[in-house]
Amino acid sequence: MEYFTISLFNGTIYGLLLFMVSAGLTLVFGMMGVLNFAHASFYMVGAYFAYSLQKVFGFWPAIILSTLLVGVVGVFVERFFLRRVHHYGHAHELLLTFGLSYIIAELVKLFYGNYPINYRIPESLNFAAFQIFGTNYPVYRLIMGGISLAIFVLVYLLLTRTRVGIVVRSAIYKPHMVAALGHNVPLVFMSVFGVGAALAGLSGAVAGAFYITSPNMALDLGIIVFVVVVVGGLGSLEGAMIASIIIGLISSFAVGIDLSLVDVFTLFGAGEWASGIGGALALKISSLSATIPFLLMLIILLIRPSGLMGEKE
Amino acid sequence: MKKTNIIIIFVVLLFCLPAFLSHSLVNAVNQMLIAALFACAFNLVCGQGGMLSFGHSAYFGIGAFATLHAMGVMGAEGIMPTPFLPVAGALVGFSVGLIAGWFSTKRTGVYFSMITLALAELLHTVAPHLKGIFGGEAGLSGMRMPSLGISFGTDIHVYYLTLIWVLLAVGFLYFLTFTPFGRLVFALRDNSHRLRFLGYNVHRLGTMTFALSAMFAGLAGGLQVISIEASNYTVFDMHLSAEVVLNTYIGGVNVFIGPLLGAAVMTFMGNAFSDLTRNWLLYKGVIFILFMMFMPTGIVGFFQILFTIFRKYSLRILSPFLLLASIAALLLGFSTVYTVEMMQRVLSQDYQMLAQLAGANVWPAIVLFGREWFPGTGLFYVVPVFLFFSGLAALKLAIIKWHKIKDNDESGVSGATLPEKSGNDVSEQNCEFNAGEKV
Repeated sequence: MEYFTISLFNGTIYGLLLFMVSAGLTLVFGMMGVLNFAHASFYMVGAYFAYSLQKVFGFWPAIILSTLLVGVVGVFVERFFLRRVHHYGHAHELLLTFGLSYIIAELVKLFYGNYPINYRIPESLNFAAFQIFGTNYPVYRLIMGGISLAIFVLVYLLLTRTRVGIVVRSAIYKPHMVAALGHNVPLVFMSVFGVGAALAGLSGAVAGAFYITSPNMALDLGIIVFVVVVVGGLGSLEGAMIASIIIGLISSFAVGIDLSLVDVFTLFGAGEWASGIGGALALKISSLSATIPFLLMLIILLIRPSGLMGEKE
Repeated sequence: MKKTNIIIIFVVLLFCLPAFLSHSLVNAVNQMLIAALFACAFNLVCGQGGMLSFGHSAYFGIGAFATLHAMGVMGAEGIMPTPFLPVAGALVGFSVGLIAGWFSTKRTGVYFSMITLALAELLHTVAPHLKGIFGGEAGLSGMRMPSLGISFGTDIHVYYLTLIWVLLAVGFLYFLTFTPFGRLVFALRDNSHRLRFLGYNVHRLGTMTFALSAMFAGLAGGLQVISIEASNYTVFDMHLSAEVVLNTYIGGVNVFIGPLLGAAVMTFMGNAFSDLTRNWLLYKGVIFILFMMFMPTGIVGFFQILFTIFRKYSLRILSPFLLLASIAALLLGFSTVYTVEMMQRVLSQDYQMLAQLAGANVWPAIVLFGREWFPGTGLFYVVPVFLFFSGLAALKLAIIKWHKIKDNDESGVSGATLPEKSGNDVSEQNCEFNAGEKV
């Protein structure tokens, strides 16, 4: 029970965090058809900006500032890089963002060194929110979850309840028509890209302090975020939310399960034979926790290729 | 024919190389050959089939491990004579490619890219746990045995083994483009819908293409293992997949020779510069971005354009433009390298320590380009800024020159497109809104 509750909490909060990063990615994809490979790099840049800024401004101002800065970086990338290669097609844009992610990772190594940096949550936030089965539950996890939830609600309301949201959603659906009606679609694209980048930066700034901030964090998270977006359905915000939570829960539960296929065979009395074979049969689920999201993605692609909430093709 | 003559001369040259080169250089050429084969195999899917794979390191790695097992791991008896070991890599690569290709070619466009990425990452996360096959985190090592009267003890023997396999494989891939199958692969890229309406099984064709590409990637992995006699799970790393994408596109995907050239050039430069700088990967990324933005057809495309403008205009008209363009490239390149190298040195931990020891306002000297530079002095900052802006000015002049050349050309045939350095002014007209169609 203890294991179950704690895993549930941790998984949900990790999932919410995943959502905050994937929200921007899925919106940008739905809108511009661009799969932004550099999106997770914005997450990393957010963490590093916050790390540098907090020395001067303190923790919370640094997080806000780095969110804004990453947003500006995103706008810059869209305006001066993506837009220039737009006419070559989507594959080309994908390659360009791929190159950018490569450069950003190298630049981070250049500035901060190729090792994890000492970016921590401030002492004033480092206390337990409540006790659960005798262990302290850190309040910072709750803050992370709260911020992600707030972002989800905010983005959702913005998209569904405001005039700006209507323009954005219609620009996703029929960009030519929206342009013909007199809206500045390139500006809308640029803003969405900037906001998406800022969200990734915010989650990086918030999560980097709790998890590890290192030059590999973009790649590690980036691939998981891709999985989230594919499982949820490209371009769907709700889908991204559901997929993030599922993957968050799976990764947090899998770590503690000590079963393998051998145990399944034992049920049928073939346990000894299976453990004799070893290899893939003897792999414990706990050691596969990093692998399961990819398996889930393959299964989803087989049975429902457009993702949980995606439209058909 | 002229083209065949060039190829024959080049091949003969490759066979004679070990006579002139030192051991380390033969090794470098060996690496270049392997990288070239890998890029060429990758291009079968990417350039010819139009499917951008981000997970090709998986098949390279699979081929590497298969070859290692065939060679005999940890003193075990090998199952094949050394010269035929890469066959094991190729066969296993092909079979894994069939399965992976069946999955990934179900979708096209960015979905395809993401599936390949996920498959490679799946392997990367599982591999360290499968001790028997991939040797856990430490990896496996083997030993190439003498066979067929050749000892395979020296780099030269390995070089010839690699060379023969690479020539055979690249030759096969080249002739494949002329077969009906090769033509269908092109059609897959250009219009897969039409192909389907014509009655072809597009999914099977895509799977076959993918499997063939994986097969040659596996062959390349096998050759790599024969040369270094060891491997561990890091070959499945994203890094290798990224490298082959970069190499292929820098070379140019539209022409068969492009990826070969790109991989060979980039591997050579990587070898040559890795002693000089720690930021080679950064430069590589910048080169890639520059090519993507201003010269999407790669190195080959650059030479093609040079060739067309040399045909069209006399050298006398062109020389001021070419001179200005080269000066601009040199100045901009130098100021970039200076800035990057200086930042790396100033920000390095060693230097920060030195600076702290030296006291508040004293910055120790940094040696770069054979001379001492002092951070904090004016010259330190003026040099890159000056170089950068004079480079920009030269670029501007070169663009003006180019427009003059074009305006004077009354015939008005727009044969040559703008060369790389003058890409800046094209982009303005590209900024107009182009609808973001969904894939």
